[in-house]
Amino acid sequence: MTISSIFLCGIVVTYVALADNYKEQYNDMKTDRDSFKETAESKTEQYNQKDAEKVAIENKLNSEIAKLNTEIGTLKGQLKDFEDQRKNWLQRVSDMASVVETTTQTSKETTKLMMDKEAELNKLKAERIKLIDQFEDTSTTLLEKLAVIQTLEKEKKQLIEEKVELQNRLDKLLQPTGRTPAPVVTITPKPTEIARPAPVIAKKIGLKGQVTAVDTKNKMASISIGTADGVKEGMKFHVTRGDKFICDMLIIDTDAEEAVGALELVQEQPRPGDTVSTNL
Amino acid sequence: MSPNRQIRGGKVVPVANLYTIILGLAFFVVLATAVFVAYKCYIQYETIYFSIP
Repeated sequence: MTISSIFLCGIVVTYVALADNYKEQYNDMKTDRDSFKETAESKTEQYNQKDAEKVAIENKLNSEIAKLNTEIGTLKGQLKDFEDQRKNWLQRVSDMASVVETTTQTSKETTKLMMDKEAELNKLKAERIKLIDQFEDTSTTLLEKLAVIQTLEKEKKQLIEEKVELQNRLDKLLQPTGRTPAPVVTITPKPTEIARPAPVIAKKIGLKGQVTAVDTKNKMASISIGTADGVKEGMKFHVTRGDKFICDMLIIDTDAEEAVGALELVQEQPRPGDTVSTNL
Repeated sequence: MSPNRQIRGGKVVPVANLYTIILGLAFFVVLATAVFVAYKCYIQYETIYFSIP
């Protein structure tokens, strides 16, 4: 019995030494539970806060959706207007295409007409050269005729002097007899009026335009009229501003609606908008 | 506790033998066990008595 009690005591000591500390485990679990409880409360609070935020955001988004729906309605209206405008523009484009086609055809006809006119111009140039030759021949003949006329005038003057001398002698012969010589009748009739040269007819060109651009570095300027208005290379224009003379301009290059010239006799720097004209 | 009890002058005289030593040792072991259990209870539960929290 003594040994059994010792053995039993050994068992008791071993059990007590190896037994778990349930109080400590209880405290740990309690601490964990409190922690979890606090966490749950915190999470619940966060959930409520997030829920409130969600409701606020939902309201805000609903108002934005309503606003965007209104904008969508407005944009749909605008889209409809733009589509109408697009249809109008397409109609205009088709009209313009037909106009362009017509213009192209007209341009072809104009080009053909221009080529005809150019051929005619060449023909006229040839005629002009021929006329210049004729004019030179005529001038030479005229000079010769003038020389002949001068000779004839000298002869006429001599004949008049001879006639006066003969008239004096005849008067001296007939005066003692009391007679006078009968007037001389010529076969060739006397000219009634003296031939005079035809007056020279000069016409003013009368072109007028405006300065469109000025290149002060190269002393050049461009004007708003071109070959379509009758501007030719070598023409001289006068640049004026109001009643003030600015400079002269000698045309060196021409285009259909524009011409470029060099500035001369510059009194003041020309500006775009100044008047150009062939006659002051 | 020995079977061979000595009697001197009509008085019973205790005999110090092996059984007495074992008995003393057992007593000491039981006492030490009780102290150890009480100590552990006090350390772990701060009381040596049983109670339900």
